[in-house]
Amino acid sequence: MNASASLGFATLARLADAGRDGAEDTALPSAASLDRFLASVERRAFRIAQMALRDRDDSLDVVQGAMLRLARNYARRPSEEWRPLFYRILYNGIRDAQRRRTVRSRFFGLLPGTARDDDEGAVDRFERVPDPGPDPSRQAMNDEAMQRLEAALQQLPARQQQAFVLRCLEGMDVAEAAAVMGCAEGSVKTHYFRALQALRAQLSEVW
Amino acid sequence: MGGDERWTEHERQARELFDASVEGVDASTRSRLNRARQAAVAEVERSRHGPWRTWLPAAAAASVALLAVVLWRMPGQQPGVLPVVEGAPTAEVVEMLAIGDDVVSEDPEFYTWLADRGLPADNGSG
Repeated sequence: MNASASLGFATLARLADAGRDGAEDTALPSAASLDRFLASVERRAFRIAQMALRDRDDSLDVVQGAMLRLARNYARRPSEEWRPLFYRILYNGIRDAQRRRTVRSRFFGLLPGTARDDDEGAVDRFERVPDPGPDPSRQAMNDEAMQRLEAALQQLPARQQQAFVLRCLEGMDVAEAAAVMGCAEGSVKTHYFRALQALRAQLSEVW
Repeated sequence: MGGDERWTEHERQARELFDASVEGVDASTRSRLNRARQAAVAEVERSRHGPWRTWLPAAAAASVALLAVVLWRMPGQQPGVLPVVEGAPTAEVVEMLAIGDDVVSEDPEFYTWLADRGLPADNGSG
C-alpha cells in the first residue's frame, strides 16, 4: 500500500474516467501475475458487491465483469495500478447494477403479481457443500455482527459506504481511496469521518 | 495497514468481521469466482497471441493480391498499346498514304508533287 501511494493517482483516475485502453503503454505482464492479483481480491470484491447489492448472482456478475474489464483494458498497466483500477471498475459495476435494478423494479412494479424469480428451481450442487469453519458458534456470532454492520452500512449514503469500505475494510490509504472514488483526498476524509460517526450511532449496542 | 494503532477498536472490529465473512464465502461462490478469474486470465492470453493469429492470414492474402496486381500492371505486359519505334512514319505520312486514288485524280498538282518526291505514282498497286 505504501508503494501505491507513490502512484500518480490523478492520472489513474483520469484513465479510468476516460475508459482509455492502456494496452499500448507497456509490455503485457504475465498471465500468472494477473491471476495472483485477481485471486487475492476476488472474494473481497464479491463481499463488497454483495454488501452493496444484497444479491449473490448480481454480485458475481459484477465481479466477473470487473475481472474481464481489467484483463482486457488494463492488463498492460503496471501491476501496482491494478488494485485501484480494479476497485474503481468494481464500483462502477455496482453502480450500474443498482441502476439496472431500479429500472427493473419500476418496470415490474407496474405489472401486478409479477416477481423476480430468475433462479427459482435452479439447483447448484455446490450449495450443499459444507464450508470449513473453525467454530460454528463463533461463526454464527460473527455472521450476526456482520449482518448488523451490513444493515447499518446500507443506511449510509453511497459515498460514505464507499469511503468506509475502502478505508476501513480494504485498508486503503486516503490517496488510494481517492483514486478509486474519483474525488479529492479531503472528500474521502470527510465521507469516512461521517460514515464512522453514523455507524457508531447505529451500532452503539454492538460497538 | 502499516500503523494499526491509528485505527479505533470499532474500525478494527469491523475489519475483522469483514475478513471473517470473506473467509466464509461458500464453495459454490468460490467455484464461480475461480471460473471468472480463469476466463479473465484467458482473455489476457488471447490478447497476447490474438493479433498475430488474426492478422497474419489476412496480411498474407493481401500481399498475394498486391503482388498479382503489380504483375498484371507491369508496362511491357499491357495489351493494346503499341510500342513507339524511333524513325517510324509519323501519323501525318501514314494518313497521307492512306488517301485513296479518287483524291489523287481530283488533284493533279498533288499527283505531280508526289511524283517529284520520288514516291511511286501508282498508289493502288501497293
